[in-house]
Amino acid sequence: MIARVEHLTFTYPGGGPPALSDVSLELAAGEVIALLGPSGSGKSTLLRTLAGLVPHFHGGSFAGRVAVAGLDTRTTRPAELAGRVATVFQDPEDQVVMARVANEVAFGLENLGTTPAEIWPRVDEALAAVDALHLRDRLTFELSGGELQRVCLASALALRPELILLDEPTSQLDPDGAERFLAAAEGLGSAVVLSEQRIDRALSLATRVLFVEGGRLLLDAQHDEACGWLAAHRPRYAPGAPECPPPQPAADTGSVLDLTGVSYAYSPGVLVLDEIDLEVRRGEVVVLEGPNGSGKTTLAKIIAGLLEPDSGRIERAGRVGLLLQDPGRYLVRESVLEEAALAVGGDRTRARAALSRVGLDAHGERHPRDLSSGERERLGLAAVAVAEPDLLILDEPTRGIDPDRKAAIAAWLEDYASGGRAVLVATHDRSFPAHRRVSLSREVLVAV
Amino acid sequence: MKLAPVPATLLFASAGVAGLLASHLVPLAALSLVLLAVCLRAPARRRRPYIYGAVATGLGIFLFSPFLAVEGYNFLWQGGPTLPVLGQLGVTTEELRTAALNGLRLMSLGLAFSAYALLVDHDRLVAAAGFAPRSAFAVALATRLVPSLERDAVGLSDAVRGRGVTVSGARGHAKLLSPLVAGSLERAVNLAEAMEARGFGRQARSHAPSPPWTSLDRVALAGGALLVVAGALWL
Repeated sequence: MIARVEHLTFTYPGGGPPALSDVSLELAAGEVIALLGPSGSGKSTLLRTLAGLVPHFHGGSFAGRVAVAGLDTRTTRPAELAGRVATVFQDPEDQVVMARVANEVAFGLENLGTTPAEIWPRVDEALAAVDALHLRDRLTFELSGGELQRVCLASALALRPELILLDEPTSQLDPDGAERFLAAAEGLGSAVVLSEQRIDRALSLATRVLFVEGGRLLLDAQHDEACGWLAAHRPRYAPGAPECPPPQPAADTGSVLDLTGVSYAYSPGVLVLDEIDLEVRRGEVVVLEGPNGSGKTTLAKIIAGLLEPDSGRIERAGRVGLLLQDPGRYLVRESVLEEAALAVGGDRTRARAALSRVGLDAHGERHPRDLSSGERERLGLAAVAVAEPDLLILDEPTRGIDPDRKAAIAAWLEDYASGGRAVLVATHDRSFPAHRRVSLSREVLVAV
Repeated sequence: MKLAPVPATLLFASAGVAGLLASHLVPLAALSLVLLAVCLRAPARRRRPYIYGAVATGLGIFLFSPFLAVEGYNFLWQGGPTLPVLGQLGVTTEELRTAALNGLRLMSLGLAFSAYALLVDHDRLVAAAGFAPRSAFAVALATRLVPSLERDAVGLSDAVRGRGVTVSGARGHAKLLSPLVAGSLERAVNLAEAMEARGFGRQARSHAPSPPWTSLDRVALAGGALLVVAGALWL
């Protein structure tokens, strides 16, 4: 037995409902466990509990007992558990310490006091295991999100832990990148607990499934039994779950955006966008697909006027609003209401209406950074949509969100477009519902 | 062949000091060219701002200081308005020589720093210090967090502009300073959590071995000392 959780109840400092309530489970060697549940359900807290970070790093009220590798986490600091347990967090940017990849992977080994002669061979072995040996001498701040995430996995792997905790590790990756990452995680040999919103892939790897909701462990079962339970009780989480319904046909009331021959290069000779043509019509929800690095964000910024194209013509019929990736990170005001009112010159009436549409009307006086991550994302959406732009662009709005919230966003956007406006969604989520999908490859924009 | 971080840093520091001490144009220009060639070994995207910064600083000194200095009698040009303190503008051959010398000194110093920033493994350099390991980590983290801070600043500005709000002037950008600091504090907390989870703070920390110094490293060290002496006495 690698870990045992007995009647765990935990509440973060500041009160509120418990993040975890009366959770009990056991983890055995070699198991690959899919940890599923809605955003804010307690998945990350459970992972942090197994790493010893709860309660040592976060404080709060802790009842029950958690033992990892025979060590009680209440009396053993997370740093002492490191090596037996390794964690890969959601955002790689927030966990990288060193400037060079090899040094980053060596960091944990050095902390554990690994014999110096062993360190570099284990670094190379771990990088090779995640197909990242070619990154060994690169600077960490020059890597893409996907490359950095693989380096983080290598850093965990180098410790040869008995238990690996993966907290939505593929949220920044396109489907192919996520596939490669999860395949690497599958072959680790350690027990793995994988919290993941790419449910089909997680379930295909898992030998066992946990489902957490409202801080309670609703399901702890082997794979086949769990799939049956999910199909009966939480069908959006079941394998092959029905996708969001396609939107109603759009009423065509004219073009809101017309791009012709748009090209852009960040440095001379390295084209990111090459002769792109794209039209978006009122009433439409259009999905702009493409792998990481294909230029989706660049095109979104050009359409919103944040970047000037090197060549080509752009015609916009009305206002354009852009919601960037990870909007919760980019909040600039001291209260939720002020944040929502920023784009409408401080008009609090319109701001309240926008907050109401995303279910945040009761939080107007709170500081934006006191909101949960899901609430921050909704605030970001309200802060852009408040000005009712004719074309609303969203960059990766479904990144790391659960199936229920994804369906809610899709329905919200369809409703927004049906009011005579248009929506352009840049995403690598192939199941996001839309009237039309265009694929952005390095060579050409293709209607699909 | 790569130099170890310590000899490389000492060599670049020596080159910068030699450049400051030198007083002859030709060897100083040669030193700058060598340093420029060294900087060109770094990837193009990274080296560009460093090289532009160093060269532009040197050129700026060369172009503007003759108008501000008052030196020599061999006028190449004299005219323009008479300014307070400076008098009538003019350029002499002596002023041009001094400007070229000072410009090259600054350029060589800037290029030596650029070479250090672009090519030295800072992680291993601070680890090699062997003392004050927590301070060494603070330096490594600062190096790591500067690019993140740059990206966050751009992201904040883009997020606000994406809502149709104009961000302009010092006042507009100053309003983004507070959220930028708040965001970097959040990032610092997350990083501290990740470091704790990776065993930072445990007793008996080890260090990944650095390769032993090669003869090239020793030559670089001796060359650095020689450069400083040469800069002071002959260059």
